[in-house]
Amino acid sequence: MDKVITIENLHKSFGSIHAVNDLSFQVKKGELFAFLGENGAGKSTTISIMCGQLSQDSGRVTVCGEDPQKSKKKLGVVFQSSVLDGALTVKDNLQSRAALYGIGGKDFQKRIQELSELLHLEEIMDRTVGKLSGGQRRRADIARALLHKPEILILDEPTTGLDPQTRKMLWDVLAHLRREEHLTVFLTTHYMEEAADADFVVILDRGRSVAEGTPLQLKNAYTGDFITLYGVTQEQVQKFGKPFISVRDGYKVQVENTAQATALIGKFPDIFVDYEITKGKMDDVFLAVTGKKIEGGAEQ
Amino acid sequence: MMELRALTKRNCKLFFKDKGLFFTSMITPLILLVLYATFLARVYKDAFLSAMPEGIALDGRLINAMVGGQLLSSLLAVSCVTVAFCSNMLMVQDKITGAYKDLTMTPVKNTTMALSYFLSTAAATLLICFVALGVGLVYLACIGWYFTVTDVLYLMADVLLLGLFGTALSSAVNCKLSTQGHVSAVGSIVSSCYGFICGAYMPISSFGSGLQKALSFLPGTYATSLMRNHCMGGVFRQMDAEGIPQQVVESLRDSVDCNIYFFGSKVGIPVMYGVLVASISLTVAIYTVISRRKSK
Repeated sequence: MDKVITIENLHKSFGSIHAVNDLSFQVKKGELFAFLGENGAGKSTTISIMCGQLSQDSGRVTVCGEDPQKSKKKLGVVFQSSVLDGALTVKDNLQSRAALYGIGGKDFQKRIQELSELLHLEEIMDRTVGKLSGGQRRRADIARALLHKPEILILDEPTTGLDPQTRKMLWDVLAHLRREEHLTVFLTTHYMEEAADADFVVILDRGRSVAEGTPLQLKNAYTGDFITLYGVTQEQVQKFGKPFISVRDGYKVQVENTAQATALIGKFPDIFVDYEITKGKMDDVFLAVTGKKIEGGAEQ
Repeated sequence: MMELRALTKRNCKLFFKDKGLFFTSMITPLILLVLYATFLARVYKDAFLSAMPEGIALDGRLINAMVGGQLLSSLLAVSCVTVAFCSNMLMVQDKITGAYKDLTMTPVKNTTMALSYFLSTAAATLLICFVALGVGLVYLACIGWYFTVTDVLYLMADVLLLGLFGTALSSAVNCKLSTQGHVSAVGSIVSSCYGFICGAYMPISSFGSGLQKALSFLPGTYATSLMRNHCMGGVFRQMDAEGIPQQVVESLRDSVDCNIYFFGSKVGIPVMYGVLVASISLTVAIYTVISRRKSK
């Protein structure tokens, strides 16, 4: 697959703060790429450099084979907070935006019709943005980012604060665009279940890439299995000698793998009356690689 | 060109649809109207009458035209600058809301964006000020009309130039602002101070000599004087025609800032235009340099 974004040894500092520190990764055409990190990890700085808004101190960045300054037409960006003009209608917003990409007249009408069908914009097209609900506004945001048919869509925490129905609609639309138009999606999110659906994940911590791979690779590398036991006491769980956390009606114990869980069941059959074993999640991967503690457990 | 047109149209629409920005820009002219309606008009009327030598009776319409002309010139002198500053606050608001950052994601150049803010501010300012001029002229036609066509054309040129100066000055100042605090601070300072320093509330001639000298360095002083000359020129010509002594007329012209002195030397009308044009050129040049630096 073609590489649409290449970042090599990227460095960017703001005074004494090293926002991005020797970061390297590649994004392949058509993939859903998840870029994870806490606030201040360097995600926004990296995106700003990719979008040509900031220049790097050192390192190489290419977007669709070009310098970011020359590839702005190939990027569409949806920010966490809507940047549509609240006093204008959705159509006014889209029209002025399209003009910035040289799209007007019949081309605009045609594109607006396509996006309207895709994102169900008909009923809000003539409404003032300031009076729309969060979900409606987000649909308009996405339409705005897709007006010029970008090759890469950057979504900066796009589903934060949205209701489940709108989140599902958003992901359905993105799946359609990836399938039909081979759109590359570059996603930053705080919802780890969304990152679990990505083709490739990079986790950033203090400006550095601390883990990367497919969700399966990351889960295998950084998390074990979890045994959730119900109706047991803390003293019983402590007998396992494994990290655990208290959950509703029971305790969640972390083990290295399913084999270890099986061994514990064999060793303490009287404790294992009501239980379930689950695989690690992207949340666990994130917590593991960024060095966080889980309650009642050991340092990951 | 398509980008510039679209951005300018967007900025204009936002200014007129944002009631906060629009009404803020009207605060200073409204204060002025209230001051005139409550006491300033009476004060000026009494001042003009007391300046007349004994035995000379002036037509009531001439006095009304004098006071009305002073009101209109003050209103325009203030509006051309305060409306421009408020309209151009959109530039700062776009930074606060993230719209500016979003626009820089597009292929549009920073200089095009800068020009669009300038053009939309100029358009909004001139539209409002020319409407105010039209309304003011209708009012003067009702209370006492002493204008020639040339006066009106000069007055239109004055509005155009001062509107452009206000636009250029606000562009150069506002492009360095980036927070709501900056907006409030600059908005308050301009709204509360400009009316005084341009001589709209009280004539500059009534200030102390030190302050008068300081204000003679400000381009707004000459713009106000130009507007005074063209709003009240017809009234003074009529006074001449009615045989009022030249000394009295000159004294009146001094008292309402039709005559401006730079360290004792009377500044002619062509020089005032020269100062205004030079100031516009200088502030546009400063704004251009800042915008180009930003784009690099």
